[in-house]
Amino acid sequence: MSLVPGMGIVRGMGLTLRRFFAPKATIKWPEQQADVAPKFRGRLQLLYDEYGTLKCETCFQCAQACPIECIDMGGIDTKGRFHVHWGPPETYGERREESAVRRSGRTVPDATFPRFDPVDTGALDEILERHDYDPKAMLAILEETQAEYGYLPVGALKHISRITGAWYASIYGTATYYRHLRFEPPATASVPAAGTAHAAIEQRYRSGLDASLGYPRRAS
Amino acid sequence: MGAFLKTPKEWPLVLTGRAAALSGSAGDLDLAVRNGAFEGLRRAVRDLGPTGTIATVASSGLRGRGGAGFPTGEKWRAAANQPAGQRYVVANGYGADPSVRTDATLLAADPWTLVEGITIAAFAIGATEAIVAVRAEDTALVTLLEGAVLAAEEAGFLGDDVLGSGYRVTVTVRPVQGAYMLGEETVLLKALEGKRGQPEQRPPYPTERGLFGRPTVVNNVQTLAAVPWLIREGAQAFAAIGSKASPGTALVQLRGPAGAGIAEVPLGTPLAELVRLAGGIGKRSLKALLVGGPTGGLLPADLLATPYEFDALREVGAHIGSGSIVVADDRACIVDLARLLTKFSADEACGKTIPCRIGLRRLYEIGDRVATGTPKPTDAVLMEDLAHDIVASGLCEHERLATLPFTSGMRYFRSELDDHLLRSTCPAGVCHPIAVGAAATPGSR
Ligand SMILES: Cc1cc2nc3c(=O)[nH]c(=O)nc-3n(C[C@H](O)[C@H](O)[C@H](O)COP(=O)(O)O)c2cc1C
Ligand code: SF4
Ligand code: FES
Repeated sequence: MSLVPGMGIVRGMGLTLRRFFAPKATIKWPEQQADVAPKFRGRLQLLYDEYGTLKCETCFQCAQACPIECIDMGGIDTKGRFHVHWGPPETYGERREESAVRRSGRTVPDATFPRFDPVDTGALDEILERHDYDPKAMLAILEETQAEYGYLPVGALKHISRITGAWYASIYGTATYYRHLRFEPPATASVPAAGTAHAAIEQRYRSGLDASLGYPRRAS
Repeated sequence: MGAFLKTPKEWPLVLTGRAAALSGSAGDLDLAVRNGAFEGLRRAVRDLGPTGTIATVASSGLRGRGGAGFPTGEKWRAAANQPAGQRYVVANGYGADPSVRTDATLLAADPWTLVEGITIAAFAIGATEAIVAVRAEDTALVTLLEGAVLAAEEAGFLGDDVLGSGYRVTVTVRPVQGAYMLGEETVLLKALEGKRGQPEQRPPYPTERGLFGRPTVVNNVQTLAAVPWLIREGAQAFAAIGSKASPGTALVQLRGPAGAGIAEVPLGTPLAELVRLAGGIGKRSLKALLVGGPTGGLLPADLLATPYEFDALREVGAHIGSGSIVVADDRACIVDLARLLTKFSADEACGKTIPCRIGLRRLYEIGDRVATGTPKPTDAVLMEDLAHDIVASGLCEHERLATLPFTSGMRYFRSELDDHLLRSTCPAGVCHPIAVGAAATPGSR
């Protein structure tokens, strides 16, 4: 309360007047576009359409494209549990279908559920201990894990992530890059010899080159 | 003759000189020492010292055999001058090109020259850790190298006390596998760190920030294998071999219609000579030389006089690359060949950047529609523009080089491309469903 009566109002109006002549931040969007840094991509958020349905198709394209894995996807499955990365990228398409059906209100069978079966981590713990729980040896850890289980079960990757402290996304990134690492149980029980995953591609290149040149095919 | 093709007597053998003597018993240390192994190391440790060794390598003019031809002495000096508690030397023996076996063949014939070379490199730059990266599928080679390192360590050539000098150099053999891009140095370092194999922005170069963030020298196997010879025989003797700007020898993987094999050749040898070494051209006529592997350039017959060395090849739109030379005769179609090579490069690109992920794929798609008879009138311009953009915006060498098959093809075989584009014919009769050209006899392939 001011001692002079009416002074409060005068002060208030003063502020209003000053603001009245000050430059405005408001722009007439969308006729006028905001001036932002060229690399600005907006806030990462999921949007809803006019019916209130989530616009995200869960196509995983953004997570797959993001080179530094700062985009990732998680969600609640039909049993109410939260997961990040529901498995290998090969299944993204499948899950996209599934989620579209689910959003339509129909129930879908939870095909992904068995992927998260816990694995027996006894052997894995030994592998981790041998490498001193060091994320720097991740490739060797993953190779040995695959030798142990025949493939890389999601449960094992999660365990490695929890124990070594390496982000799940970066372990997953490493594991998806190298051709000899895989996420599905092999068709046969035995683990193929080193290099077989890549060898077929190299062989295709060699025979393709020979065919292009018109040379007789080589033995290997 | 063994694993290597016979070359003229006056061509010096820097890399494979000992291979014949070791034939059948490559893992025999005593035999290797009797044939001069570890003399270079002794000279480096006893007479030259680290700075003297780097100076010798620099004055010999040795350039990296991994493809880019970077001066090795300069690389070593950069790493040595970088203040750090730990430095690394990595021998790149991955051999990414699927049709090239030069590095592995050299190692299998004589593992000692690399073991000695990498020890000299580690000594020179002050690294205590040295890593030999080779392909995991070459299990016999991995075993041979591990045995060689162990034997050399027991004999005191490396390990805790190199030749009684007090220097420590630990050499480890690391098998890697699973992707073409592992040959690229920053990708190889990523694999050794247990990360996903995508290239890093350079600079900072590995000599500044490499393996685990420490100064690292990544050298091709042949680069390191040349070091013992040049220390032993002197920088002048090495500089006298081959061409002035690129002295020394290199292994080439030759393939032609009449023969194939690996040969050690002095750099600067004319391409025509190498074609002869590959068994000549046979009854047909030479159409093109693919120089540099999957990302190589396609050179026409009138460039056969070009010397096989870094700068001259760059100038004509090819590169040493993986050290492969493929001779194509008149059965080959340039568009078809370039399309195949670009597809391989696009498939193997890591996907980190847009030119890598999308640019190469589009380049292949344009080439593919030219070859399959559904080109658009603007395709030649489009390809040129796209190749230019990829080169300008690529992150790693792979994308930039992967444009070479098409750019060199367009530069030297433009009329053949125009036949596809404008007249819907393939002169070589390779591409379908384009009408078979008049020159080609059906069923000749
Ligand atoms: C796609 C790609 C593949 C490469 N593959 C190999 C390879 O298989 N072996 C190799 O020694 N260098 C390879 N390099 C070159 C390396 O990045 C690096 O320049 C070289 O190992 C450095 O050694 P240098 O100085 O002795 O040449 C490759 C480069 C690229 C871009
Ligand atoms: S790094 Fe990922 S989040 Fe960032 S701009 Fe690229 S895709 Fe988007
Ligand atoms: S291959 Fe992907 S950035 Fe070069």
